[in-house]
Amino acid sequence: MSLHTAIVKIEEEKISSKKAKEFIASEKNGAESIFIGRVRNENSGKKVIAVTYDAHDQAVIKSFQSICNNAKNKFDKGAKIFLEHAKGYAPVGEISILIAVGSGHRDEAFQVCRYILEEVKHQCPIWKKEHYVDGKEEWLPGHSLRSKKEI
Amino acid sequence: MEIQLKLYGSSKILSDKDTLNIQLPDNSNIEKLRNILNKIISKKHLKSNLENLPKTAAFFSEKDEVVNDNYKLKNKESISIIPPIGGG
Repeated sequence: MSLHTAIVKIEEEKISSKKAKEFIASEKNGAESIFIGRVRNENSGKKVIAVTYDAHDQAVIKSFQSICNNAKNKFDKGAKIFLEHAKGYAPVGEISILIAVGSGHRDEAFQVCRYILEEVKHQCPIWKKEHYVDGKEEWLPGHSLRSKKEI
Repeated sequence: MEIQLKLYGSSKILSDKDTLNIQLPDNSNIEKLRNILNKIISKKHLKSNLENLPKTAAFFSEKDEVVNDNYKLKNKESISIIPPIGGG
């Protein structure tokens, strides 16, 4: 198996870099690229304590698989890919997304990892609500899946 | 007729539940649903939070595929509202 994708209910389970490293491990790998996104404590001058992630699970998993398969076809058909994204209430410091790629060479490992990250942000129905130190909360503006012409 | 709207992201403030049942005239399409949503948002005094939602949201069918404004809704159909996205 060369592909693992999942939405992780973060209040029940953690996203594990150890699990990711084990999944992509192979004697064929000359390079392993790992991207970890975390909840940070500031955004646009506001002090953040946590982020709640919401997701349309079925559509996200479909798009994760499509994005990863496209990445393989584009850069390295033999790449091993691990992709998980958080869902639910994630305090500052928590892993929100983890992408791990095992590949024959460093260029492909970096390219696959970067491609997946940008496409996840661009395509996947995932939303973030930030929680602030003053008790306020706010859904962050994203980009519409409608074409600009339609809007 | 009635459809069930599955709520995601910012649209969740439209209901205490994860879904919202919406009454529509027979043979309504997604464009009509956008108009009705505008009215619901005004009625619930949520314009300051959701003013652009009817215009910017996409909609998924039960097959998790984006449907366009001409898509004819069926009675009891379940539709997902997809506000502008921003994960990662």
